[in-house]
Amino acid sequence: MASIATPAVVMDNGTGLTKLGFAGNDAPSFVFPTAIATNSNFSGKPSAPLNRPRRSGPSGSGASAINSNLSNNNVALKRGMEDLDFYIGDEALEACNGPNYSLSYPIKHGQIENWDHMERFWENSIFKYLRCEPEDHYFLLTEPPLNPPENRENTAEIMFESFNCAGLYIAVQAVLALAASWTSSKVQNRVLTGTVIDSGDGVTHVIPVAEGYVIGSAIKNIPIAGRDITLFIQQMLRERGEADSSLRTAEQIKQNYCYVCPDIVKEFRKFDNDSQKFSQYIVENQNKTQKKIVDIGYEKFLAPEIFFNPEIASSDFLIPLPTVVDQAIQSSPIDVRKGLYKNIVLSGGSTMFKDFGRRLQRDIRDIVKQRIEASERLSNAKSTGVEVQVISHRRQRNAVWFGGSLMAQTSEFKAYCHTKQDYDEFGPNIVRNFSLFSVP
Amino acid sequence: MLQLQSFNLSVEKTLSELINNESPKSFDRIISDFDNTLFHISTPESKTQILLSIYLKCFDDLVRYGDINSYLANIYSNYNILDTPEPGYNFSIYLDLVQFKQNFSIDQQYEFISKISFLKRNCLAAPFEKAINKYNELSLDFTKRQASLQEKHSIFKDITQSQRDDADSAEILVINYRNDESIYIKPSFDRVTVIFSTIFKDETDKIFGKVFLQEFVDARRRSVQNSPQVLYSHIEPPLELRSLPEFLDLKSSISSSNKYEKGFVTFVLFPRHLTSQKRDNTISQIQLFRTYFHYHIKCSKAFMHSRMRSRVLEYLKLLNRAKPDFEEGSKKVERKTASGRRFEIRN
Repeated sequence: MASIATPAVVMDNGTGLTKLGFAGNDAPSFVFPTAIATNSNFSGKPSAPLNRPRRSGPSGSGASAINSNLSNNNVALKRGMEDLDFYIGDEALEACNGPNYSLSYPIKHGQIENWDHMERFWENSIFKYLRCEPEDHYFLLTEPPLNPPENRENTAEIMFESFNCAGLYIAVQAVLALAASWTSSKVQNRVLTGTVIDSGDGVTHVIPVAEGYVIGSAIKNIPIAGRDITLFIQQMLRERGEADSSLRTAEQIKQNYCYVCPDIVKEFRKFDNDSQKFSQYIVENQNKTQKKIVDIGYEKFLAPEIFFNPEIASSDFLIPLPTVVDQAIQSSPIDVRKGLYKNIVLSGGSTMFKDFGRRLQRDIRDIVKQRIEASERLSNAKSTGVEVQVISHRRQRNAVWFGGSLMAQTSEFKAYCHTKQDYDEFGPNIVRNFSLFSVP
Repeated sequence: MLQLQSFNLSVEKTLSELINNESPKSFDRIISDFDNTLFHISTPESKTQILLSIYLKCFDDLVRYGDINSYLANIYSNYNILDTPEPGYNFSIYLDLVQFKQNFSIDQQYEFISKISFLKRNCLAAPFEKAINKYNELSLDFTKRQASLQEKHSIFKDITQSQRDDADSAEILVINYRNDESIYIKPSFDRVTVIFSTIFKDETDKIFGKVFLQEFVDARRRSVQNSPQVLYSHIEPPLELRSLPEFLDLKSSISSSNKYEKGFVTFVLFPRHLTSQKRDNTISQIQLFRTYFHYHIKCSKAFMHSRMRSRVLEYLKLLNRAKPDFEEGSKKVERKTASGRRFEIRN
């Protein structure tokens, strides 16, 4: 009930987008780019640029470097409130169009690179966007698989020492994505074993998870994701010489028209026989005075097809997604493979295409079937069969956040968190271990 | 971001999305605000009927001291306030999207959204409004009496003193807005005194807090003469509060507050802060004081951390430079242990 306790805060900081919200909600309150625009006259490291000329002088000894550094830092202290002069998210993108601000993305490849910027990013997320006093709330943060424990410690240091947050749980994104799939009607028993296909804007990951633990050695990455699809659409529009081939238009087409077909050759034939299949997208400029009409053709089904036939878009990566998934599962320990095939979960915006799950399931099933037939031929023994199931659900876009929200609203959540008292007692290395949620 | 905003960004965004959405959908969301405040926006019955509720920890105090229900009813008079709020919440507004879009122009819709996003501010403003009204009353009364006294040429000093006492007896409004932390508001004929009791759970915060508060106290002396006077007392409650039952027994209250090392920050709002033009701004600013204070403590910690990081980086660079680089093969380097023993290299 609302009046009893404050809701836990769920923050999912991804490479591209950050999702912020409160546990118990079905969608994040805020989704914006993980970007921060800082005043370029005052960078996060005040000493770095100013020191260089002095050090090149003849007395470039260590002592003078320290002294100059000291004086610089003192200057930084007296300069006032530049450290508060920054914007995050959409405001940051806006601000960096102006003269004084420079944009940076503190998270690279899923991992936090610039802790100064990240600390201030959190500061603003908590106080400006979520408007909560961190001392009153528990926090659930997410991390990518294979995040070094040092990063966890750094995160805990910031959360506990800067913000004094009441409690903290850091969950692996893939595990949360598995938990989010429990809302699907296809899932009968809630297990934390499965293969997560996480496809965002930059990279697609295939992550096998066994009983809540990521099988690190079996993770596979595919350099094809949302941005590549958008670029592919844009390229097709340009080749046809459409009236508008901006990135925005391409993105709109991707989100609203694209789908996955069962068979490209048949689909081509369908399009050629039936002109109804083609669509039109109308681009309006800001004041709605001008209209441009963009025809949409084969890219409707061809764009998402690059997951299944990468050769149509890229020349250096040629392994189709179903094969990669199969490889990832095959390189996992043999006793969990059945569970991994049975529970393939989609997460991220680029898995939202219509029938994406169905096509993936069919293709993986074919691969598995061939393997079983081959082994039956060789061993003359009857296989018990392997069930392949791809689960798609309605919360796929923000699956990680939603999984976090589900976890953090349970009554046991607080018991799994490390509290401020624990941190003060044992130090940052307590966050190296978090006990897993027992499956409710 | 130097100043915290008084409105709730998330409420504003959520509501405008809900209202501007072409196809309504069922919705249920909680949004929090500072000091254990919760908003709940939901569509309990049908997709076009929005129910918005707020829960405030100190609502009972607001009812007692601020007469909040009529105050809010006044502000949100154009909208449908529920007589019995949603269970678990203190105040609910009901919105029928279809009617709302028919009856209100686009501008009025925006006005509604922005008014709702200020809901928490308005709730907390009620007792302040009451206190300022009381102050107006008292000061008017005072000038009247003073004028009549001067006419009579009576002994001015003594009687003013008695009036002063009289005015001082005005009720103190106590708002327990957080666990263990309260706002006390005391109107008087020439000022309104606002006192915050604060506790710090963290040792570092305590020190930062003291530095900050000292700055607040000093600021007026140095440059900003127009700012309200700020006083800070540690552990010992200020004289204004001694009449309250919880502080009557001074010793026991000190020992009980000692446990957390409660501090008291006093703001003295002078008539120039209470004029009708400045009044709203004063109220918005002062009720966010505690959050503002803690926000800046956190910001300065973050700033310290970034400086520490850059310092460590510098030191690491120095250490790396101190590494001797051996030129291979050019000279045979003789190695010794700390005690001076040599390694013999046997062939």
